[in-house]
Amino acid sequence: MQMSTPKAGAPAHNAGAPAAVELRGITKRYGSIVVCDDVRLTVHRGEIHGLLGQNGAGKSTLVKILIGLAQRDAGEILLEGRTVDISDPLAAADLGIAMVHQHFSLVEELTVWENVTLGEAGRPDARRTRDLVRDIGLRYGLDVDPDARVEDLSTGERQRVEIIKCLRRDPSLLILDEPTSVLTLAESRELFTVLRHVAQGEGKTVILISHKLDEILSATDHVTIMRSGRIVAQRATAATDERELAREMVGRELSKWVAASALGDSDALIDPSLSTDPAMLSPVEPIHEDEFPVRLRIHEARVSRDGRPLLQGLSLDLRAGEILGLAGVEGNGQQVLGDLLSSLVELDSGTVEMDGVALATGRPGVMHMAGIGVIPEDRHASGCVLDMSVAENLVMSTVESVARRGFVSRKAIRANAERLIEQFEIATPSPDTPMRQLSGGNQQKVVLARELSLNPRVLVAAYPTRGLDVGAIEYMTERLHDAAASGIAVLLISTELEEILTLSHHIAVIHRGSIVGQMRRVDVDAERLGLMMGGQVV
Amino acid sequence: MIESLALILASSLRLATPLMFAGLGEYMAEKAGMINISIEGMMLAGAFSAILGATVTGSPVLGLVFGILAGVMIAFVHATFSYRLTVNTYVVGLTLNLLVLGLTSFLLDTLDLADSQLSKFEIPFLSDLPLVGQAVFNQRWPAYLLWILIPTVWFVMYRTRWGLDMRAIGENPAAVDATGINVLKRQRQGLLLAGAFSGLGGAYLSVAEVGLFNQNMTAARGYVVIAAVIFGGWTIKGTIAGCLLFGAADAMRLALPALGFTLNAQLLIASPYILALVALVVFARRSRAPAAYGRPFVRGLT
Amino acid sequence: MPARWVGVMSTIGLYALSIAVALGLAGVLVSLTGASPLDAVQAIFQGSLSDASALGLTLDKAAPLLIVAVGTCVATSAGLFSIGQEGQVVIGATVGATVAIYLHGPGPLVLIVTLFGAALGGAAWAAVAALLFYWRGVPVVISTLLLIYIAYQVVFYAVTQPWFLMETGRNVAAPQSDQIRPDAWLPRIGEYPGLNFSLMVVIAVVLAIGTKVVLDRTTWGFRLRMLGLNRNAARRAGVSAVLLGSGALMISGAFAGLAGGALLTGGNHRLQPGISENVGWDGLLVALVARNNPVVAIPVAFFFGVLRAGGGFLASTGVPRYIVDVVTAILVLAVVFPPAYQYLRREARARRLARSLAKAGGSA
Repeated sequence: MQMSTPKAGAPAHNAGAPAAVELRGITKRYGSIVVCDDVRLTVHRGEIHGLLGQNGAGKSTLVKILIGLAQRDAGEILLEGRTVDISDPLAAADLGIAMVHQHFSLVEELTVWENVTLGEAGRPDARRTRDLVRDIGLRYGLDVDPDARVEDLSTGERQRVEIIKCLRRDPSLLILDEPTSVLTLAESRELFTVLRHVAQGEGKTVILISHKLDEILSATDHVTIMRSGRIVAQRATAATDERELAREMVGRELSKWVAASALGDSDALIDPSLSTDPAMLSPVEPIHEDEFPVRLRIHEARVSRDGRPLLQGLSLDLRAGEILGLAGVEGNGQQVLGDLLSSLVELDSGTVEMDGVALATGRPGVMHMAGIGVIPEDRHASGCVLDMSVAENLVMSTVESVARRGFVSRKAIRANAERLIEQFEIATPSPDTPMRQLSGGNQQKVVLARELSLNPRVLVAAYPTRGLDVGAIEYMTERLHDAAASGIAVLLISTELEEILTLSHHIAVIHRGSIVGQMRRVDVDAERLGLMMGGQVV
Repeated sequence: MIESLALILASSLRLATPLMFAGLGEYMAEKAGMINISIEGMMLAGAFSAILGATVTGSPVLGLVFGILAGVMIAFVHATFSYRLTVNTYVVGLTLNLLVLGLTSFLLDTLDLADSQLSKFEIPFLSDLPLVGQAVFNQRWPAYLLWILIPTVWFVMYRTRWGLDMRAIGENPAAVDATGINVLKRQRQGLLLAGAFSGLGGAYLSVAEVGLFNQNMTAARGYVVIAAVIFGGWTIKGTIAGCLLFGAADAMRLALPALGFTLNAQLLIASPYILALVALVVFARRSRAPAAYGRPFVRGLT
Repeated sequence: MPARWVGVMSTIGLYALSIAVALGLAGVLVSLTGASPLDAVQAIFQGSLSDASALGLTLDKAAPLLIVAVGTCVATSAGLFSIGQEGQVVIGATVGATVAIYLHGPGPLVLIVTLFGAALGGAAWAAVAALLFYWRGVPVVISTLLLIYIAYQVVFYAVTQPWFLMETGRNVAAPQSDQIRPDAWLPRIGEYPGLNFSLMVVIAVVLAIGTKVVLDRTTWGFRLRMLGLNRNAARRAGVSAVLLGSGALMISGAFAGLAGGALLTGGNHRLQPGISENVGWDGLLVALVARNNPVVAIPVAFFFGVLRAGGGFLASTGVPRYIVDVVTAILVLAVVFPPAYQYLRREARARRLARSLAKAGGSA
């Protein structure tokens, strides 16, 4: 836990000047759990500082303390050498701290300039704000039309608006929380160019929170690694490599595939020379195309809502025993595809067939009865009922199996729960515990256990590891493999290329509601995959 | 024929005026995502208090002020319960409506109320226009306030920061909260304003249009106003159009028998409600409701 | 655990205070009429609880409220906020009256078909709201409200049409229907002068308990609760939100319609425009106060019944009967206030604590 001094390769700092941000012994507890433990951190003006750590490592709490959404229990915050007290988000804004959240907080119905001026004082001045949006756009390379409605903008453009909202207050410290999860590769690169300009050109300080190693390595000057609420290492980015970062972040040597997948290192997954490394044993055995029958066939599926096309002739074959990874940038139709296979959406045209038999779309329960299990992308919103017990959540879709003559048997619910809790290693105080009290990983296990307990023929897993820590990711990875090995056709929907590369036998790329290309896992070429995700047919 | 048309027009406008006052208030509340059920109670309280105020002070103008204050008072109770204490807004709104209905009926039996009516004001020359002259330019004078209030409401909603906040809250309260704006406070303010407008609408009904107070005088006009806002697709123009339409339906109820049409009386009385339902069926999907419409804002829930 | 005791005591104290304020307000209103509030309380007691016949009246008044409330609990469990029970009560009574007057046959059979028809009528009225909601997205709250005022005119229409339900040989001054056959009246339990009440009281209690069991223990109730707690998750689990939601709304309507049938066959024995006596509105309030628990609704409905039975007696002392409506509404507000207030207090305290800790941490 040594404070690192700037090393070669990092921008030079005036040794005499106070640091832009200095945290001294920040500690934060929730009940008996220490989420930040004596955190000491120094960030200098003009640098991009990476904050790296797994989910639950304490980085988001630390940032919440910095922007006034949480209060520290002990320790000191210094900005430019002065001790400050950040009691709420407004105080943070006054001190020149701004944050770009992972989930945008934009009002879709309003225009860009209205969003930018929201939350300020005084009469909204349309002309001045428009000019300001254009000025900031020119200065930082953030091009966006101030009069466009936010709902008409692409994700990348929305993030630009979000950043303009921050820069417009001329902050001295800009914090970005996992900013690239919604961006294409090209958009991510653009973002880092902007950040470089913000830091070096304008002399501001940037803190970049991420769990992706390659991002940290390519975009930051310094990196601080957190694990279990503590700072475990601080390095000049130029003086470290991903193997070291990975080790520090997780605290042990990982099976390299999991490491590469969980930590966002796609190069290691693709580079064939690494595959010969015995430590790099691939869990993906190539399979032959015609070896397994087509189980689920989606043909020319078209869906539109409010006149906006969501699926535009999407066709996809899913074979028994294989994992098909559906790669793509968020918002290209993944969600509606998941909804389609959950019977929530009716097709305008096209068909869905299971083993050659057409299924009615949009009729509740049909997909389910046909043997399609779904792990939805948002567990809280639609995967489980938080105010019902774990046991009840485990029988949500099969309540008949625990009922006699229409009456639910509490004994049967409990027996079923106890069996699944043991089988899927769900950590819960009791089967009757409300779902709300479980950790994210365990909630996900409940959903997985329920869907697999139905002996599905097809399993759709949408972002199955999102928000989970490494241990839970390893668990999910294994379970999905087991599922495929047992003959289930698995459709893996994810925006994380690494996850798809680790798990899939086949990869399909979705863009604007249709499949723009498919390839076998063994034939993957990173450049081509990136281009396809950007919408280019190659 | 022209004459009876002019009469129907005049009575449509007269009957639509209280709806338009309340409609402007309801429009603002709904823009901020609130379905303000207690508007019925606000209007009824306004109608009663206006006559009460006029009786006590002897001045129907002060009665109008009493009516506005009564609407604000109901709004204050509703706002405190639902947008400070976060009790379900329908529960509170409905209870308030029953409370006001009971209370005004009780007080009507208990107190001696005088009849009192505001004077008409005829605008010279313009009132001589054929067909519309008498309808539009010879009204009880508070009706002319609409000419000021309608553009004012537009200005407030679309040109001030408060209006921007309100519109944003109706779409995405969590995002507004993140910018440091107190969402519940804005909603309370919006509700108070809706209370003032609805109180004025109720007061106009009693102290201007009719000149006395009857038991349950508003008779669900508040709910018709809610329907008018939805019918209007959450625009000011549309809301006003909706109010005029429902006012016209009400006028037909009175005019058709007078014109010699024999239509069933009950059908005529029910016609504004039926029309409102039909309008909802046609328009509820066509236009875009505020995204957070009718959903309470709770911090930390997305 | 003294801290816990303090918590419990302060909760009880808060409820007591809030109800006391509500009753105080009511007292002030009563004084306005020149009557003494104490006399008013005594009058209410005399009219509702003082002897067996008063108690019987209270039970009779409580039964339809309870039936409406139980139906409301079903709709609310499915996450639907319907407030049109009043209209469904009225339509139920109208359909019931039509059956009772036009159907020939043995009395008990007519009674059963009458009640069944009343329930069906209420369900059909609710089905309109369900249809508009799932077909066109019309908010249930608004459509059910508007349907009430249409329903009022339907009854009025029915009892003013000679070919329909208008009283034979009467004129339009006080429109009402003929009296229904005495052998199709709801039987009464208990003999005068002992405790004497309508069979509907028994039916209401059975329905309340039965509904509780159905909601808690059956697969249908399970799905319904799932739908109410998380619509998206329920739909993914194969629940048809449209079918189940409409079903819940219609059951709620059927209960309200049944209450209308009970008012007809157990009360006036003829259809009148004012037959509902606001039972729909107050039944809804019972469900709200009982927090959508059908069994809790039993004592709440009884209490409302006390107010209603006493209110009739009160009117004879010169206090307008509307005071009962006022007291009811104020009491509802008094009952929802304490939990909300405590919640807010807890939040504020947590924030203050966090802030003071932050200050202490900063200076350390």
